[in-house]
Parts: sequence; C-alpha cells; structure tokens
Amino acid sequence: MSIKSILIANRGEIAVRIAKTCKIMGIETWGIKTSAEPKAHYLTQVDKVYDLSDVFSEVLVFLDVEKLMDIVAEIKVDAVHPGYGFLAENAYFAQRCVNINVKFVGPTPDAIHKMGNKTIARQIATKNEIPLASGTTRSIRDAADAKKVSDKIGYPVIIKAASGGGGRGMRVIHKPEELAQMFRLATTEAEKAFNDPSVFIEKYIQNPKHIEFQIMADSHGNVIHLGERECSIQRKHQKLLEEAPSPALSPELRKEMGDIAIRIAQAVNYESAGTVEFLLDTNNNYYFMEMNTRIQVEHPVTEMVTGFDLIEQQIRVAQGEKLTITQKDIKINGWAIECRINAEDVQAGFSPYLGTIEKMVLPNDENVRIDSGVVEGDTISPNFDSMIAKLIVWGETRDEAIANTQKALSKLWIKGLKTTIPFFKTVLNHSSFTNGSFNTGFIENELEFMHESTDEEEALAAWFATLQYINEKEKEAENQVDFEQGKNINPWLLNKRMKSF
Amino acid sequence: MIFGKSSKKEIKKLIAVNAKRKKFEFPIPFTDELKIGDRQGEMKIKEDDKHGTYLLWKNKKYPVEVLSKNQNRYEILLNGVSYNFSIETPTSYKRLKYLNTKSGSKKNENLEAPMPGKIVEVLTEEGREIRAGEPLLILEAMKMQNEIQAPVSGKVKKIHVKSGESVLKDDLMVEIIIGK
Repeated sequence: MSIKSILIANRGEIAVRIAKTCKIMGIETWGIKTSAEPKAHYLTQVDKVYDLSDVFSEVLVFLDVEKLMDIVAEIKVDAVHPGYGFLAENAYFAQRCVNINVKFVGPTPDAIHKMGNKTIARQIATKNEIPLASGTTRSIRDAADAKKVSDKIGYPVIIKAASGGGGRGMRVIHKPEELAQMFRLATTEAEKAFNDPSVFIEKYIQNPKHIEFQIMADSHGNVIHLGERECSIQRKHQKLLEEAPSPALSPELRKEMGDIAIRIAQAVNYESAGTVEFLLDTNNNYYFMEMNTRIQVEHPVTEMVTGFDLIEQQIRVAQGEKLTITQKDIKINGWAIECRINAEDVQAGFSPYLGTIEKMVLPNDENVRIDSGVVEGDTISPNFDSMIAKLIVWGETRDEAIANTQKALSKLWIKGLKTTIPFFKTVLNHSSFTNGSFNTGFIENELEFMHESTDEEEALAAWFATLQYINEKEKEAENQVDFEQGKNINPWLLNKRMKSF
Repeated sequence: MIFGKSSKKEIKKLIAVNAKRKKFEFPIPFTDELKIGDRQGEMKIKEDDKHGTYLLWKNKKYPVEVLSKNQNRYEILLNGVSYNFSIETPTSYKRLKYLNTKSGSKKNENLEAPMPGKIVEVLTEEGREIRAGEPLLILEAMKMQNEIQAPVSGKVKKIHVKSGESVLKDDLMVEIIIGK
C-alpha cells in the first residue's frame, strides 16, 4: 500500500520535521489547528489544515483518540504520524487506526503495548536473557509492598511508572524513610501523566551513562540498528544534550549492545523506528532500561552520522516496503551533537521562562542543522513544552563537532527570553565533557556553574544598566512618559544623549 | 545635570551594585570609553533589524536587552545570561550600605513560587519546625511535579496556598521565621 496522504497528529518542531520529509516524498500532509496556538508555525509547513481553532476543549486534540479518529475518517488520509509524546506510544490509538485500515506510522499495537508497559518489557527481557538491573517484573501496589521489595533489592532504588517515559513518575530513594512519600509522589505523577498509577521498583545504578540504540525494522522481519546515541547530559531525567556516537563505546561493545538491542526488537516482532535504552556503569556493564516505540527527539544526531532520513524510513516501512539497508551498510561518519535550546532560566534551576521570542538569529554554518517549531514573534506558553529549537552540529571528529557547536552557539541569538544557550556553552567547555568521562551525574556532581559568564561580561552589563538609568532619568526630567520601559531604544539616540551628558 | 531638580550637588559618578553587592563605578559625564580589568577601549551600541540591540566591545558582539526594570533596579540579559543591578548615586549608595549593616540579619524568609504552576500537595503545616532542605510542598509545572524545599531552617509562620490552587511566578507560598 502506497501512502499518499498523512495526518500529522502532533505540533511544534516534530510536526515541521515530518512535513519536511513528506514534501520530499510527495506525500500530502494535514496539520491540525488548535485554539491553544492557532497561529503556530507548523501550520504553515503542512499542505492542508484541519481547523479546530474555534473548538475549546479540555483535552488537547493530540491526546483525544475519538476526535482524531473522527478527523481521520472525515479527511480520508492513508496514514497517521503521531510524532513523539501525546499518543505516539498509545497502543489503543494505534489499534483504532489499524481497525479502520489507516496506517499508523510506528510499530504494531502489540509491540507498543508490550514495550510501553515497563513491567511486561522487563518480563520479555528476562525471558530473552537480556541484562537488567535487579528489580520487580510486576507492579507494586502500595507503600508497604514497595518497602518490602526495596529492602530486598537494597538501597538506593528507583521507582518508575510502568507506563512511564520522559522522566515522569520516577523517584530515587536513598533511605527507607523516604520511601512512603516518594512512592506517593511517583504514583500520583504517573496517574496524572499516563493515566496509570502502577509503578515498579529496580536497583538504582548510581551515575551511569545513558546509551541508547536506534533500531529500524520492517514488517518482513528485517531488523538493523543505526548505532548509538549518548544521552548522559540530563537533568532530573530530562535529556539536554545528545551526541552520536558515544565516546564511551569501543567497536566491540557497540556491536555487543547493538546485537542485544536488535534481539529485544525481534522479541516483540518490532517494526518501524524504535530506541532501546541502556544504562552503562563504570565497569562497562550494561542494563536494558526500556524501549521507546517512537521517533525520538534526538533522532537528528543519528541522521547526521548515518546519512539516513529516519522519518522517510518509517514511512517506507509503514507502506510495507522492505528495508533496503542492511547492517553492513551502516557506517558511522564523523560526530554529531544536539543541544536542546529550551526557554528555561538556567540561573533559577531551569525553571520555564515564558515570554515572546523577539529575535531569533540562526547560524547558517555548514554542518549545522536547526529543527524548530517557532519563529520570531512566537510565544513560549505554559500550555506546551519549553523547546525553542534543536541545534544539531556535525564534525569529522568529536573535537571538531564540539568546536563547531561552540561556534554555532555563539551565533545563535535569541532575545526576549532566557534560554539554555549559556548552559551548553559551559558544558562544552568542561573537561569531563570534552574528555568523554561524564555520566548522568554530570550536572549534579561536576558542573559548578550552570551557565557561562565572565567578569568582563558582567561589567559590560553594568555599564549598559547604568546607561539605561541615565537615559530614563533624562526622560523623567523631560517629563516624558516612558511607555517602553527602556526596551528597544534606538542606539543612535542613546549615543547622542551620552555625548550630551 | 538632571538628577532630581531639587539636588544642587552635581553627581560625579554612578554605581551599579550587583546582587552580591559588588560595585561597578562609572564616572559622570558618562562615557563610552571603558576600562575593564586591564582592558581599555571604546564601547559601541549597535542595532539592526536582524539582531536587535547589541554591544560591540573589543571586536566582539554581545546581544543585550533589558529583561525587567523596577525603579532603579535593572535585570540585563547579556549574551543569554541575566545580571541584576541597582543603580546608585554616591549618596544613595552610602544609605544602602548603612541600611544593610543596620538590618544585617533577616528574620523572615518568604518562599515564592519559582515558576507558574499548580499546588499538588502541601506537606507542612503552620507552626511546624522545619529543617533546610525539608520538602514543604509539591508544585506541578510543565507536567513535572517539583518538590519545593525549605530554603532555611526555622518555623512555618503562614502558608498562603492550598492544594489544587494555581500560582503565578513569584506568588508568596510560605512564610518562614528563620531560626533554629
């Protein structure tokens, strides 16, 4: 079956990303306009827009299976691409698409269900002799049960949501006394986020590296991996910077872990793109953590070093094609780094920084790719995640990729709000990062300052603040009302005033 | 000179004071000739449609903007990093120093919401003795549940929020009386 039209059941940068590949493949794309952001950038990148901007619903359409099914039936598309987040890993939604003979661009409902439920995934891994951190393969009912299990495993332990992902519904417990409260927090968070309060407990591996393998599989039983991604730069289980390949893997270890990743995918008859996540400890022991049954946020680094368009591969597999690439064709070429440029205040614990993007100047260097769902004038609102853009940079070697990323960051100017840019500058300068020894404890244990700043820069800012003050005093003296509160003042006027002082 | 028409004294300098009370002094008349550490040069303010306002110092460009302003206090965003200054005259600086030494120890700590969100759970109660780092409430924001901890040890004086309530950034949540 050839796919001629796709409904993108998502928003933001991933909707833009999917539309881009569809355009190249000559596939018609549909986007959904919501009342939450009727002027969103992704709507300008799709061929057709389904307008729901007049409908004010409690549940966002991207989470509303019934509504999406109605739309699919009405516009008669061949396929639905769920992107990531929202319903991307919802087996029920995938099944509903299958039921009406509309292709869900992703794995089968059965594979989503098995890997989506982490306790079932653990059972499958155990059956296939895949290394796992010790823990439960069933869900934990109450705090007393949790205590019993944790005492047996030995502290520290980690509570994880059975239906979880993205760091939500996860809590680390170092001491038995913390357990009751953390259990309550994890279950309420899991219930809210995933509509499923069940959790399981496993041994907490202290400061491991987070290594994940990109899988691609077709419906004819062919499974390959496209190498690994290093995602250890994370804060509270939220990834901030990813790279491919990982400086921690030798070719032998890469092959070993890659083969295991393929084995897990085969165990659930996987098809489409998927990611097998591992924890790697300091002795190079690795543990299967989970499989994400969707395209990942950080997929571009893999595309950069392998040369394959993963969205294209997903669509080809969805229309029943065989993979034309074999494991032997996968060559890792150079190095790629992705920085997630989020609207967050790194000086205030990475809290979301809401506001309007007044200026966004992007680097246009060679080897730089920007995936973004916003443009100048757009607002970062509390309704959605805080991502502004993904900056993906390639280099021949890791050192070159780091240097190119630093250069690109210095050319990436965003005004109107605070972003994670100064954070990445300091990470890329840190010796643990440059020598590759960092692990998931990097931000908490090694990074002294969360942003890059010099005394000289502070003095420049002090000079500018003083100038603003003088300027306003002068205005007050002229009895003018300052509507602009000192923002966006014409520099020529400022210069003139300075000279007249 | 313009500073307050009542003031007869001419102001010779302005002082930008940061959050850690570090001083940056600038002579009046204000000049774009600047000396920072052992580097000296001319500062230029530039602006174009693409970049907005930026500073040009020693052949390097620094994006700059005022993020917020309150009376004589400015939050400047330079190269993506924000800096807070209060701008003082020599007289007001003296007063500031005097006031700081007089009321050296703060008695109360106001815990404000670090981000907009919803209170999921209040874990403490008024009158309770608390340790620094003890979780006081759970604030849900950007789909994450964040544990808000006591910044200091002391006693809970008043709780201003209830579970289920929404808060805006900087809303007062808990008042704490500092002390062991």
